Amino acid sequence: MQQLLNGLFLGSLYALFAIGFTLVFGILDRLNLAHPAVFAAAAFVGIELVAVGGLSIWVALPLVALVGAVLGLIIERVAFRPLKGRPDAHFAGLISSIGLGGMVIALLLWRYGPDTRRFPIEAFPTQTFEVLGARVTVLQAALLVISVVLMAGLTWLVARTRLGRAMRAVAENPRAATVLGINVDRVTATTFALSSALGAVAGALFAMNVNSAQLGMGSAIELKGLAVIIVGGMGSLPGALVGGLVLGLAEVFAVQYIGSSWRDLVAFGLLFLLLVVRPQGLFGSRRVREV
Amino acid sequence: MTESLVVFIALNAIFAFSFYAVLVAGQLSLGQAGFAAVGGFTAAALAPEPRDAGELPTLLLAIVVGMVVGALAAVVLGLPTMHLRGVFLAIATLGFAEAVRILLINAEWTGGANGMSVPKIVTPAIAWVCLALVAYWFWRQGPSSYGRALAAIREDELAARAMGIDVGRHRLSAFVTAGAVAGLYGVLWAFYVRLLAPEDFAFGTAIDGLVMAVVGGSTTWLGPLLGSGFLTAVPEVQRALGVEAGWVRPFVASLLLLLVIVFLPGGLGSLIPRVRVRVPKDGAGAEGGGRLVERPRTAEGEAVVRVRGGNKDYGGVHAVRDVDLDVASGEVVGLIGPNGAGKTTLVNMISGVVPPSSGSFEVLGTTPGRTAVHKVAQAGVSRTFQHSKLFPRLSALENVLVGAHVVSRPTFLRRLLWLPGARRDEQDVVAHAARCLDRVGLADRAGEDASSLSYGDQRRLEIARALASGPSLLILDEPAAGMNHVEADSLSELIGSLAREGLTILLIEHNVGMVMKTCDRIVVLNFGEVIATGTPAEIIEDPAVIEAYLGGDDAGPARETEEVR
Amino acid sequence: MNTTLKMLAGTGALALVLTACGGGDGGGDSGGDGGELVGSGSGDSCTIDSPVPVGAVVSLTGAAASYGESQRKGLELAAEKLAENEGVTYDLKIEDDATDPKQGITVFEDLTKDRSVIIGPTLSNTAFQAQPIAQEAGVPVLAISNTADGITAQGDYIFRDSLTEAQVIPQTVEVAKEHFGLEKVVVMYSNDDAFTESGYKVFDQALQDQGVEILDTLTFSKADTDFRALLTEAKGQDPDAVVVSGLIEAAIPLVTQARELGIDVPIIGGNGFNNPKLMSDSGEAAEGVVVGAAWNSASEGDLNKAFLADFEEKYDGQPDQFAAQAYTGMFVVDAAVRANCSGEPDDIRDGLTTIKDLDTVLGTFSINADRDAEHQAVVQIVEDGSFKPLN
Repeated sequence: MQQLLNGLFLGSLYALFAIGFTLVFGILDRLNLAHPAVFAAAAFVGIELVAVGGLSIWVALPLVALVGAVLGLIIERVAFRPLKGRPDAHFAGLISSIGLGGMVIALLLWRYGPDTRRFPIEAFPTQTFEVLGARVTVLQAALLVISVVLMAGLTWLVARTRLGRAMRAVAENPRAATVLGINVDRVTATTFALSSALGAVAGALFAMNVNSAQLGMGSAIELKGLAVIIVGGMGSLPGALVGGLVLGLAEVFAVQYIGSSWRDLVAFGLLFLLLVVRPQGLFGSRRVREV
Repeated sequence: MTESLVVFIALNAIFAFSFYAVLVAGQLSLGQAGFAAVGGFTAAALAPEPRDAGELPTLLLAIVVGMVVGALAAVVLGLPTMHLRGVFLAIATLGFAEAVRILLINAEWTGGANGMSVPKIVTPAIAWVCLALVAYWFWRQGPSSYGRALAAIREDELAARAMGIDVGRHRLSAFVTAGAVAGLYGVLWAFYVRLLAPEDFAFGTAIDGLVMAVVGGSTTWLGPLLGSGFLTAVPEVQRALGVEAGWVRPFVASLLLLLVIVFLPGGLGSLIPRVRVRVPKDGAGAEGGGRLVERPRTAEGEAVVRVRGGNKDYGGVHAVRDVDLDVASGEVVGLIGPNGAGKTTLVNMISGVVPPSSGSFEVLGTTPGRTAVHKVAQAGVSRTFQHSKLFPRLSALENVLVGAHVVSRPTFLRRLLWLPGARRDEQDVVAHAARCLDRVGLADRAGEDASSLSYGDQRRLEIARALASGPSLLILDEPAAGMNHVEADSLSELIGSLAREGLTILLIEHNVGMVMKTCDRIVVLNFGEVIATGTPAEIIEDPAVIEAYLGGDDAGPARETEEVR
Repeated sequence: MNTTLKMLAGTGALALVLTACGGGDGGGDSGGDGGELVGSGSGDSCTIDSPVPVGAVVSLTGAAASYGESQRKGLELAAEKLAENEGVTYDLKIEDDATDPKQGITVFEDLTKDRSVIIGPTLSNTAFQAQPIAQEAGVPVLAISNTADGITAQGDYIFRDSLTEAQVIPQTVEVAKEHFGLEKVVVMYSNDDAFTESGYKVFDQALQDQGVEILDTLTFSKADTDFRALLTEAKGQDPDAVVVSGLIEAAIPLVTQARELGIDVPIIGGNGFNNPKLMSDSGEAAEGVVVGAAWNSASEGDLNKAFLADFEEKYDGQPDQFAAQAYTGMFVVDAAVRANCSGEPDDIRDGLTTIKDLDTVLGTFSINADRDAEHQAVVQIVEDGSFKPLN
């Protein structure tokens, strides 16, 4: 039971992180590899807001999301928009976002130094309670609720709002979207802002959850995030959620039943198998792209 | 400039070449770190003591082992993943590399995280000789028929298939090359750094290799070397310039990376002028082509296409319904009908590009749908597409050369050895391609990128490319679309002259005048069904046809899904 | 405008490549030539005219940056202190290997050209890859944080001032067993890091030697921060203690999460845990953590107290073991230089072999015949937010 919950918490954070990846991929068909840098930056900024600024984490979280959104806009403007229409944009986007991500990490190193940091111990409630024989901290419960609310909110946004419709139109066919009077650049930028805001919240929550923030935390979760979006299906929001949970649970149970040394192998084996058998992922629709 | 810097530039360049090997075919793989790891570790474990065997023999043996193991790993990974594209392939291969790393960490014989100690044998000279050999390989590969086929796959996979290129095999062989080169890197690395640890082949290593290959540019074989020189030297230069150690260095390195990518499309390699295939002076007119691969010809009147009860459903929409169609050798058959009548879907099925939902298709002894597209093309079917599917970053001449794939002899291996026959074969194919270009009136545009041609020229280039394979059946899908009168007239003359040479032609065209003028027989489709067949004179009188056309183009269901995009 | 930028970027890139090929030799004129590095007098009265060129290679960026940064602080503080002494001055050049073996090797090669002695590198794997270069060039190396086996066996120019795991851990296990009456434990370690893996091996051996049952061995990755699955697994075994070979990045989340999950048994760590951040960042959770280490931060020795105070004053924070060992490294080099009153590489090498009973912040310090360090190790326990000796 404890392991089930462990997997659930871990998985929901994976999912929150991966949604940022998948959102951008869904709309642009590109991977934004600066996403892990946003994840790390958010944790450090969040810690500074709480530890130095003396804010409560409930105030800090929205601010962190805001910082993430701004970073997202910068990423879109600097690393992706200049590549628009280039035949090699697929590879170039990977590299330019790696470059920008590297710059962000270097700036973090300058501002915060290389040491690990954490949210002040007294910043959030530490009491634990028991659920069916498993110990859960109040914080963890809160994290789960926040993740689920954010993901539900996002799904609603994409499915029901004007912005969501515009996003889907751009994802479907940017040229047609332009004809329909949609400002593709603006929609794309908004998508980046949203995705990075989610990544930022994920970063801050992750740092709280494990009591540690490190410059490399983004690259540590990056591979997991990629696995999640593949498992869930590229560009699929519910897919990212389910994929995150599947991965979190698979890891936890791999530790329990197979051995901790093989935990990551299980994750990648799963990923590999799925790609070979069902490349569109659990929830991805096979794009009806005629020949 | 330290010795190690000289060595690392060479080693990194070799690693970058292993990415280049697949990038030229448009594949994004991150598995190279895994290939290098298995190659390096196996070679280090199996290599004899340099004391017993001598240093150079030890290294040579290790290199052979490493490259073979790397290539085998690529086959093992490649077979199940070759159907994946783009990011999916990247992540699958990345998963493989991570799995390899975890296995190596957990294995006894590798020494786990503490690694394996390996004698240092590699010197700058050895490293650069290896690099020179690898670079030579890719230099000779580029303009060979194999290299052009890879470039075609990168530019447009479907069009490459339709030109008779076995995409799966080409992609796999590119992948295996990458595996072997990565294995070489792994061995050289092991025998230079003295300690081989799984850590050296982590995700970051793969990313570094990809970055070097992309920054260097995948359009010239010098790209990986440029990329490696640039990225390996950046920290050194910063050190030499006295940039303070710490955050500034990675910041500047990342910034430079971003600037190069954003402002130099095509990477550093784009600074070097591209060498293009040129038409030899006497090329276009000269006789020759004797060295092209002979293709079987069909006898006059023999059945070329035989379709019975052809059906195609798209999620309940019947794009093509119970169509019977026969085309005999030497015939020019026109396929007309309102928009969305199913014409393109029908020819897509005939050329094997789209599998039929049901019905029997026989084309030149193949069964399209079951026979792979490239095999149908090799049997003698050549086609153009409703929306041009040229290879945009290749020149007009190179496009036609790819079209000549099935008639050109493979030249890569002979090019490696500088055999004179390879050169003669190349010249013959180029001369043949130049004649095809001349035929459609594009002789003076040979050196231009396909993407820079006007719309009408692109349509004609596609016809030249289709002709280059010396087909038995030529399928033209709306070749005159977007052409003005003059162009359309010369096009219909061209079709006429091709028909007189005995070529079988299946023509989809909205320009009814042109169809009437050029075709022996016309088939009219509406709502996916054949509503009339006959000579032009019969068709023009047919009430069902008149009804379909007067009923209006607009009435046709807007089923653009059938288009080949 | 686009073309201009392209041109600019292009020429910039080319210029970089070109300078890379042309440059580098600039730093080649060796400071080691001439007799300027050979002084007169001996020991405290030794006087050398030119500053002795000392190189240090640490990881200031990349994954190991936090250790390298501590080491940089220790080295710079020591250099400042040494400058107060008469007679010998040091020209300390600290370089970054970016936690990348390629750069480690290149930097080592660079430094062998004009440095009389090299300190570092941060990581053991890099040490195996880079130190032979100095060995071949005849430049002595003093490792300040490598704990793996075989570091000094690479050659007679390779020394270290860091105790090996084998010198620290058996004692830790012995003391802990005695103190807590350990019978069965769960061992956890990160298996993708050379430092922690070699630590694990020694733990494993020591536990067996002491007759402590190992219920389970769990591995994690050094990048991991969520240990709940592993800890839950460990808790299920109901051990008397959890033995961890990990770095401080892992230590803080691991210890805090263990307490959250209700694991109240002692947690026993190695050198990687010997860091004041353990208490400052884990708070209550750190109580009862046992750390076997090379440096006794709570030592009442004058040198140590002065070090703590100076460090606090200069950097506004507490030093960790990496800083203490780096700090000691400079003083060991100083002692070696003064021993023969010469800053020539070979003389420093000879001087290093003679170091015996040197008073340092690590305690009374000697270099043995294997060129390894010898000094008192310490077993500490966290009590009331600070390390207290357990033995």
